[in-house]
Amino acid sequence: MKDFHGIIFAYSAAPELRELVGVRTAASLPFCGRYRLIDFALSSMRNAGILDVGVIMQRDYQSLLDHIGSGKAWDMSRRNGGLRMLPPFGLPEYHRGNYAGTIEALNAVGSYVRDIPQKYLVLLLGNLCANIDLTKVMEQHKRSGAEITAICADHTPAQSHHRYVVGEDGFVTQVYFDRTDDGEGLPSLEGYVINKDTLLKMMDDCRAKNLYRFHKDAVAAFLAEGGRMDTYVHPGYAVAVRSVEAYYKASMDMLKPEFRRQIFPADRPVRTKTHEEVSTYYGESAVSRNSLVADNCMIEGSIENCIVFSGARIERGAKLRNCIIMRGGIVGEGAELDCVIADKYCSFSAGTVLTGNPKLPMVVPKGSRI
Amino acid sequence: MKKNCIAMLLAGGQGSRLYALTQKVAKPSVPFGGKYRIIDFPLSNCANSGIDTVGVLTQYRPLQLNSYIGSGQPWDMDVTDGGVYILPPYQSAGEKGSWFSGTANAIYQNIGFIEAYDPENVLILSGDHIYKMDYADMLREHTEKGAACTIAVLQVSMEEATRFGIMNLGEDGFVNQFEEKPKQPKSDLASMGIYIFNWKKLREYLIADENDPNSSKDFGKNIIPNMLHAGEKLWPYRFKGYWRDVGTITSLWDANMDMLSPTLINLYDASWPIGSRSPVCPPHFTGESAEIIHSIITEGCEIDGHVENSVLSPNVIVGKGATVLYSVLMPGAVVEEGAIVEYAIVGENTVVHAGAHVGAAPDGTDAWGVATCGPDIEIRSGAAVPAGAMIYTGEEV
Repeated sequence: MKDFHGIIFAYSAAPELRELVGVRTAASLPFCGRYRLIDFALSSMRNAGILDVGVIMQRDYQSLLDHIGSGKAWDMSRRNGGLRMLPPFGLPEYHRGNYAGTIEALNAVGSYVRDIPQKYLVLLLGNLCANIDLTKVMEQHKRSGAEITAICADHTPAQSHHRYVVGEDGFVTQVYFDRTDDGEGLPSLEGYVINKDTLLKMMDDCRAKNLYRFHKDAVAAFLAEGGRMDTYVHPGYAVAVRSVEAYYKASMDMLKPEFRRQIFPADRPVRTKTHEEVSTYYGESAVSRNSLVADNCMIEGSIENCIVFSGARIERGAKLRNCIIMRGGIVGEGAELDCVIADKYCSFSAGTVLTGNPKLPMVVPKGSRI
Repeated sequence: MKKNCIAMLLAGGQGSRLYALTQKVAKPSVPFGGKYRIIDFPLSNCANSGIDTVGVLTQYRPLQLNSYIGSGQPWDMDVTDGGVYILPPYQSAGEKGSWFSGTANAIYQNIGFIEAYDPENVLILSGDHIYKMDYADMLREHTEKGAACTIAVLQVSMEEATRFGIMNLGEDGFVNQFEEKPKQPKSDLASMGIYIFNWKKLREYLIADENDPNSSKDFGKNIIPNMLHAGEKLWPYRFKGYWRDVGTITSLWDANMDMLSPTLINLYDASWPIGSRSPVCPPHFTGESAEIIHSIITEGCEIDGHVENSVLSPNVIVGKGATVLYSVLMPGAVVEEGAIVEYAIVGENTVVHAGAHVGAAPDGTDAWGVATCGPDIEIRSGAAVPAGAMIYTGEEV
């Protein structure tokens, strides 16, 4: 839609992703064999016709830049508008190192936000694994007359989240912060459709008061002043990936057909950068059960409940269970891995045995040789 | 913009010997080897050889080919001073306009396109061969020898030589005779249908040939013999490596099976990538009861059955208890629960319903052949498609 502009938050450091974010941001975390987490936000926007999108980043964004390039894969390489990668350029006075909150991140690219020609903004997290039908959210936002429409989950996330309590008139009356279980209200996915004027006011007010948090400062004040916030419940899979455990669980969830259908619906494809890839070859002794395997792999060994990214080689007699092997991983003859997340280009020599736990999978950092 | 060499790719033929597979699409856009279409091979060879300007001559059913090639981006041909151009037959002021009446006529009709690049040389390619070839090396030899035309040749067995256009060489190593399908071949060097011409020379011969009412306007039948007759220097460029013509059902199936052996043609070689326009689907999924042996599988597939010695294209579904042996499944083909597909080619989006049986293992008789189902066909539950059968789109099976 022409009168909507997208903003994706891809600056999050998410320390609980440990070794996985040593070399990248959460948004550029490889996911499901061929994607990066930010593909979901970019594709949701693309599929709703939002082609003018700013991606807010702060540090460790090399892999993000590599992945997104000109935005061509999402049709966002446009003559006018299109995709803009936004490193910090107008840091607010109170800035101290990492962005402490979304409002600070927005103020750091304040002039970009101010110059957005569209009337409405769509804000999404870069590390949210969800395929959201934003067309519906945008239509609802225009219809309801709300200044903000909050995108909420239809289930309670396992992780800490905010909840919105909706009053009789359909608008939000209250927000509860940092909940971890069921209770009153709808769990927020921290995705919003918001009027540009409303967002600019939030940014200015917070800046004046040295505040930097979107929910605890800006949204709380907005609701206290009687602002109108509507809610949209996204029916389907949605997880914000903030920890190794969440990453592992979301990855394994993709082995379930019902979740795959929600994340990869035929009418809203998830787009990503394409590499020149060939098909995957299965050898004479290959076994592949309940697994997702990307292109350009050589499978000679046995994999079960695994996610294998492109360019991986699983040699004869190797046995992998419940593993995630990222791009270019090599598992030597007879090696046995269970509950291991191997970052890109790891190699495991013949006979290696490594075992993690589903609650605490073993993360092997990028490029390790074992 | 002057270019040393541009390529003209002949992609207008129907490929009538592929029958049901080319009812609605031209031969070069027939899916091949899992992720590719036949035309990916010559286009990628051009890109990898540093040839960035390619005219693709289309005539028969060009719709899918046009959209497949698009801007040429998958082959890095979306460049500003060159690129890939679709060249259909066209009408000129005051003329009736006509179809391309032969390979030479197709190039003749596009002299204007070629002149725009003022090239020294023109590479003529066909859109129905599977091979990896460095045209830059061929061009180097062509220039070194000062040839009017350089013809890529492949050494074949004397038996096979009777099925090809054969080049006989003189003592100086240049071609001195060309024989089409000779009964008693004098040489084992077969023409691969790949030519580099000095453009000034070719232009002369094209114009002369166009004015000859008895000519069939064909490179092999007219242009090459005319050049030989006139004493032009024709150099044979010896190609070593994998090369297959995929103009028949059997050769198409054979070449697909070859894709399972990287020793024949290595598609995993990062220095010579074969580009393709792929649909961007999730990785393929193998279910609890999947068994996959000596096969290639690609994005978007969902496999829950037994797949052996087969080539699967994107978005193929093989249901629980289904069996796929020695077969080629084109994009979006579905083999439902308990169905059997063996020694077969199944076209795009064709559904083999539960319990149906397509094809049969070789029985040693001459009547045996690969079973072929065209695109968009429903093979109903329990139906049997015998070996060698050819099922066309729209047929009730």
